[in-house]
Amino acid sequence: MGTVVKSKSNEMPVGSIKSDDTKLNLLKANDFVAKAIKEKLPNILVINICSSPGSGKTTLLQETGKLLRDKIKMAVLVGDPETDRDAERLKSVGIEALQIVTGGMCHIEAQMIYQALDHINLEGLDLLIIENVGNLVCPAAFNLGEDYRVTILASTEGDDKPKKYPRMFLTSELMIVSKADLLPYVPFSVDAATKDAREVNPDLEVITVSSLNGEGTSAWCEWLLSKVKEKKAKLAVNA
Amino acid sequence: MHEVAIIEDIVRTLEEQYADRVMNISKVEIEAGLLCNVQPILIQNAYEALVASMPSMVNIELSIKILPIIAYCKECKANFDVIKYTFVCSCGTPSKQIIQGEELRISKVFF
Repeated sequence: MGTVVKSKSNEMPVGSIKSDDTKLNLLKANDFVAKAIKEKLPNILVINICSSPGSGKTTLLQETGKLLRDKIKMAVLVGDPETDRDAERLKSVGIEALQIVTGGMCHIEAQMIYQALDHINLEGLDLLIIENVGNLVCPAAFNLGEDYRVTILASTEGDDKPKKYPRMFLTSELMIVSKADLLPYVPFSVDAATKDAREVNPDLEVITVSSLNGEGTSAWCEWLLSKVKEKKAKLAVNA
Repeated sequence: MHEVAIIEDIVRTLEEQYADRVMNISKVEIEAGLLCNVQPILIQNAYEALVASMPSMVNIELSIKILPIIAYCKECKANFDVIKYTFVCSCGTPSKQIIQGEELRISKVFF
């Protein structure tokens, strides 16, 4: 029997007789499901888009849908704590979209994506975009089986965000600076944000866009198309 | 963040791993990398609140050790400490090769 002496301090309990050194990983259930998602979608590019609330994720995706509609087939899974407003906005421009209502939760977990896959048409799909819940903290810790993670930073948010939310920028492959049409009016330096972000993640790519006037949206779409092509090519090589 | 989910996972993991000995555990040590955004005091509070109603757990003490971020510099062929989330070695080389800082695990179980 172990000791019955209890202490709430961080010191060793008096009279402890034995310890087991282990490496029992926690929160591993999510990674397990994420792997299953990846295996289920070998030829569909999966992009996980994260940002603060109000950075323009849905607006950018509306524009993306319009620009890519004749080139590839895309669908969006959009997460929000409540309402299906974003899915409705996406559908209004002809994008296949499904709302994931997280019921107050601050992030999407892999299990939610896995279940949602049964409710969208995967046949002939080239690109699946997951629009995460607006939050730069929690979604960073949850792998959703995506091929790439994209973080949007709006010019209205301030260029000092990457160091404040390091894990999000560390785990992303692309940073999109949105609302570029406002850059002349706000104290936001794309160079400063890029420098800050690359100190956290030296490999981070950066694209500046404005969904309103169209600046950079073709560069973003080209990025997506090249990644779709890459994924299909990889599958062909492995086949 | 996710304190409740983490605590539930600790409880589930201990019950799975030490099914026959859970009642004998006196203390559990968690190692959390700095990148996990884990706040020890919040975990501690959530733990005490949640296990209050679990007879098998209520006497198990929890301690949390935060592990700093360490990355590997391929130029220096050595590890370096990542200070203030700046993943750049003192030699000026950026690095994404994280050696430590992402883990979240039970590292010690005392009986």
